[in-house]
Amino acid sequence: MRYLIAADTGGTFTDLAVHDTQNGQTHFGKTLTNYGDLVAGVLEGLFDTSAELSEARLVKHGTTHVINALIQRSGARVALVTTEGFRDVVEMARGNRPIPFEIGFRRNPPLVERSLCFEVPERIDHNGAVLLPLDEPALETVAEAIRAANVEAVAVSFINAYRNSDHEDRAEAVLARLLPGVFVTSGTRLSREWSEFERATTAVANAYVGTNMDRYIADFVARLREQRFDGPLYMMGSNGGIMSTAQARRQPIALLESGPIGGCIGAGAYATALGLDRLIAFDMGGTTAKCALVEDGSFDVQSTYYVGGYERGFPVRTPVLDIVEVGAGGGSIAWIDAQGRLRVGPRSAGSDPGPIAFRRGGVEPTVTDANVALGRIGPDSFMNGRLPLDLDGARDAIRDRLAAPLGFEGEGGTDRVAQGVLDLAVVTMTGAIKEITIERGRDIRDYALFVFGGGGPIFGSELARELGIGLVVVPPQPGAFSSLGMLMAEARLDLARTILTRLSDAGMEEVRSGFEALTAEASDNAAAEFGVAGATFEYEADMRYRGQKHTVRVRLEQPFTTASARRAFEAGYKARYGRLNDGGEIDFVVLRVGALVPIPRPNLSDLVPEVGATAAPVPRLRQVHFEAVGGRLVTPIYRRAELPVGFAAEGPAVIEEYSATTIVGPLDRIEVGRLGELRITCPAASRR
Amino acid sequence: MTTLATRTTGAMAARPPIDSITLEIIRHQLAAIPNQIERNIERTAFSPLVYEYKDYSVGFVDPVGRLVVQSRGSLPIFVANALGTAVREGLEVLGPDQIHDGDIVITNNPAWLGQHLNNVVAYTPVRVEGELIGFFAVLVHWVDVGGSVPGSCVASNTTDVWQEGLQLPTLKLLERGRKRPELFRLIAANTRFPAFLLGDVEAQISGCQTGHDLVQEITARHGLEAIKSAIVAMWDGADHAVKAALARARPGTYIARAELDDDGVTPGRRVAVDISVTLSAEEILVDLSGLGPQTAGPFNAGRNGGAIAAARIACKYLFSPDTPVNDGDFRRLRVEIPDGRFLSASPDAAIGHSGSTVPTVVDAILNAFGQALPERAAAAHHGIYGIHAFDGRNPETGERFQHLDTVTGGWGATAVADGPSPYRSNGHGDVPDVPVEMQESFFPYRIEAKRLRPDSGGVGRCRGGLGVEKVYRILGDCRLVVGFDRVACPPWGVHGGGAGLPASVEILRANGTRESFSKGERRLSAGDFAYVRSGGGGGFGPAVERSVEDVLRDVRLGYVSREGAERDYGVVLSDDGIDEAATAARRSTMSSR
Repeated sequence: MRYLIAADTGGTFTDLAVHDTQNGQTHFGKTLTNYGDLVAGVLEGLFDTSAELSEARLVKHGTTHVINALIQRSGARVALVTTEGFRDVVEMARGNRPIPFEIGFRRNPPLVERSLCFEVPERIDHNGAVLLPLDEPALETVAEAIRAANVEAVAVSFINAYRNSDHEDRAEAVLARLLPGVFVTSGTRLSREWSEFERATTAVANAYVGTNMDRYIADFVARLREQRFDGPLYMMGSNGGIMSTAQARRQPIALLESGPIGGCIGAGAYATALGLDRLIAFDMGGTTAKCALVEDGSFDVQSTYYVGGYERGFPVRTPVLDIVEVGAGGGSIAWIDAQGRLRVGPRSAGSDPGPIAFRRGGVEPTVTDANVALGRIGPDSFMNGRLPLDLDGARDAIRDRLAAPLGFEGEGGTDRVAQGVLDLAVVTMTGAIKEITIERGRDIRDYALFVFGGGGPIFGSELARELGIGLVVVPPQPGAFSSLGMLMAEARLDLARTILTRLSDAGMEEVRSGFEALTAEASDNAAAEFGVAGATFEYEADMRYRGQKHTVRVRLEQPFTTASARRAFEAGYKARYGRLNDGGEIDFVVLRVGALVPIPRPNLSDLVPEVGATAAPVPRLRQVHFEAVGGRLVTPIYRRAELPVGFAAEGPAVIEEYSATTIVGPLDRIEVGRLGELRITCPAASRR
Repeated sequence: MTTLATRTTGAMAARPPIDSITLEIIRHQLAAIPNQIERNIERTAFSPLVYEYKDYSVGFVDPVGRLVVQSRGSLPIFVANALGTAVREGLEVLGPDQIHDGDIVITNNPAWLGQHLNNVVAYTPVRVEGELIGFFAVLVHWVDVGGSVPGSCVASNTTDVWQEGLQLPTLKLLERGRKRPELFRLIAANTRFPAFLLGDVEAQISGCQTGHDLVQEITARHGLEAIKSAIVAMWDGADHAVKAALARARPGTYIARAELDDDGVTPGRRVAVDISVTLSAEEILVDLSGLGPQTAGPFNAGRNGGAIAAARIACKYLFSPDTPVNDGDFRRLRVEIPDGRFLSASPDAAIGHSGSTVPTVVDAILNAFGQALPERAAAAHHGIYGIHAFDGRNPETGERFQHLDTVTGGWGATAVADGPSPYRSNGHGDVPDVPVEMQESFFPYRIEAKRLRPDSGGVGRCRGGLGVEKVYRILGDCRLVVGFDRVACPPWGVHGGGAGLPASVEILRANGTRESFSKGERRLSAGDFAYVRSGGGGGFGPAVERSVEDVLRDVRLGYVSREGAERDYGVVLSDDGIDEAATAARRSTMSSR
């Protein structure tokens, strides 16, 4: 059994990474995502890498299936069962209008319509005590109505169930018994945190995608078996760990956001191997740019994700990598607004028709076209020359559609406007990076920038200069980094529970027994899911000063004592807020246990690209426009495959490879690190 | 000649000193700053009113107090440029030279801000190369500033401003970066919740300081002249949007009328809200001379926080809703109002509920505007803050608590869509409800239901949004203070649409007695129930013109009852669907009326 396989089905491409444990080599495959048959896309990509499924030890799979079903509204017909008095919990949302001056503002409609929201008498109080027992005859009547309504999936969500899930568990069991063939789920199965609206929308979303994902996974497994694969299939969870298919079928909402996960896991692996304790992982693709903080090799996970965006979407309580995403990608379209101002995005040409330079019928200039027009992307070297780019088309469009209306003339004017397009994209991207650091009270200058995705390496140097960052790192295979990172993913199981107790010796008793219960549950689950007994555990708690809503998540180490918990909280609080609230009472709010189960994965040293020739690489030369000097410079162009470990050069330089182009600014210095990573140092003097 | 001219222009245009692209970059960078600070304040504040209810505003104003950028989550009620008004007061009291680098100045002076004393603005000057380029300002609703009831602003029976709490007329909280401990002691001594408030104030201070640094950094990068040009371009851009909307409006004078139920002191004494607006291609004149006189109770606001705020909010909704707020939005706006009206009250007037009347006034101004620009018109929304505040001591912990809440209700229908719901008033923005589960774990009551009110939306071709009913079961002694309105003047429909059902508050005592009230306070005990109901939005167009399918759908979804369908829409339902004959007959009678 020689192969480890990761398959990442994205919005545009399906990426595969196959690691051969016999010779240490890793191969990559890429196909256009086949929306009609997502599994076929994976198998085709696999064919490219010439790996045999019958020789595979395991397959890891990330998919955008769940988020697509939610966004495109292609899920099941769902019913919701709530506590009496709360039928409208999902429809009413929380009464806020995130776009304040839009007089007709409304949210996207709920996934469940009001006529399929049912109430049953039951009530639990805020301490978990039963005030009114679950009315099972009433529940049976509701089940009757649900059956009559041809519903495919049911969500149960009761008030205060986060403190005591007995009624939800019971209702789930009764409904499953009375409604065979219907997917049944409950809020507390997915989240043990408070806030009735968020738990209800989470349960509804899980039900909405449940039947569909069940079929998808069953189909995927069957197709793999047809190819004589007899190892385990794991699904990539939004929390950064992989999960068994059994868990994924019960809890498909945990697969919500797989796209950026692989890249961040990969960034974490490189960060650890390279001793970089503070990284900003930055991924730029065709339509968006995403960034996340990676500290001490790990990234934060947040518990609420807004499907369809914060403004009009709905929340889902599931652990998702803490990420900020903005609408700036290679395909983002540059345009002139009604007031004659240059704008970039949020509309994107995507991959179809794509940028003008791709010659696939695009007519509106994009960020990629601006890069081509300025010589930053070579017209003959994109995808190793497999896709010759239309330099003239890109320049003409920028001149005619942007420069002329703005009053910029001549070649210099076109360059200025093309650079303006890039600058505006950079403003949007730096805004995202600032948001994720300032909001969390971090000093951006303490971080290195780790760039990947098709567009990340082009902008790394400029972003660093804008943000005052001194080091940019480009990993091997930046364009396929997401699937590569997925190969590195461990199995991870997260459990959390709201506890609400104060930091005191008595409170610590509760904390210890809470952790014990969660650990036992996680351990059992890990054994059942992965057939492995040797899980290691991470302990975290969401803590806060009494009265403050926002909690700080801190890592706790055994033995759990009042003093050590206080120290951990104060350190975490200070890092975020810069000060302590002396004398403030401290509360525990949520306890979290993460169980990590090791899964075979490649060594990073195996991923260093092999460089054949030992002679010094000879660059070609090209005129490349640099904003720092406001004009074009004769710039050496290198093939990345020709640069050995230890190679170093002064900027400006351009480094090209199949999946990406890396720009090194005039004052930067480039070096190839020991894991084959490109390291661009940006001197403080060049910070603007 | 032509060639030469082109060449000259071309050379100039290729690298003018500050080109349009640079301006655009600066505009984006400046606009991002308050939003970044906003997120940080939300994370660090201590009281739910700030982090959950988001009763604050962050922005940057120019050296004379004109608004440049404001955070997007800022409540609409603050677009009156509360931030800039505070700065203008400071400039008059201290002068620019006496506001030093590192100073944090605070004010809640009613004579200037004209809003309840809880709204405290803090600001700090931003200088580059010694030149003052503006002030970074953060307004936070302080959770309690003394006065007759916890929460200060919620008392519904105050008769002058001194009963409402501590006044802070332009004081330096920090001087050249150093805290003035005596002021912190003064603040701590004058609030019922010092731990919460001082935590919030820390967040407010650090918001000013971080904002200051970010503005300074951008200015240092692009240069002073570029920043100044960008600011002018931002104002011009906003004005451009207003001008374009005005070009589509029919010029003329339009009037609208509404009224407030009473002034909070004398039941039944109506307060007039007569509005006149005059639109031309160049100007928006909002004449508020027809507002009733200053009231004896706390439903007043000063000119800046009242009349100008209301006019600006309405303007923004109608003429330039899509862009971030700045001073340019209001360049064409002129507001006329004599002193002594309830939105131009004297500085000694009670102003605890300064914002409460604004949604009604904004509704009325929008009604007048809508006649000139029907494509953007909407029927009235539920129209009140609907304050309902519980306070007392928690029997479980013995600790003092206060929970200030406001209602969410139906919004008005437009020509093309049913009214959305439930949302807070038009003076609110991104203000989420505090979850029932959080409230139950903090406060001694249980919420037994929170649901839409069927048949509460104003009838019409497009139906108004629905109001909400919340049912509280009281578990321990506490006080309920409410400020409701729009009963005598329920949310109106337009173009033949019906009014929404009004809001109400009802108490059901453990002994079975019932009592309704809309302003004032009541003592509650374990076993009592409180029903808090918000209004529906108004409808658009005659109800008889609503399609039978839409009515049927409303009945199926429970938005409209079967009886309502027949009574209001003339759609008669039988057990197996629509009774076609009865429906046709009923609808023809309705049309002929």
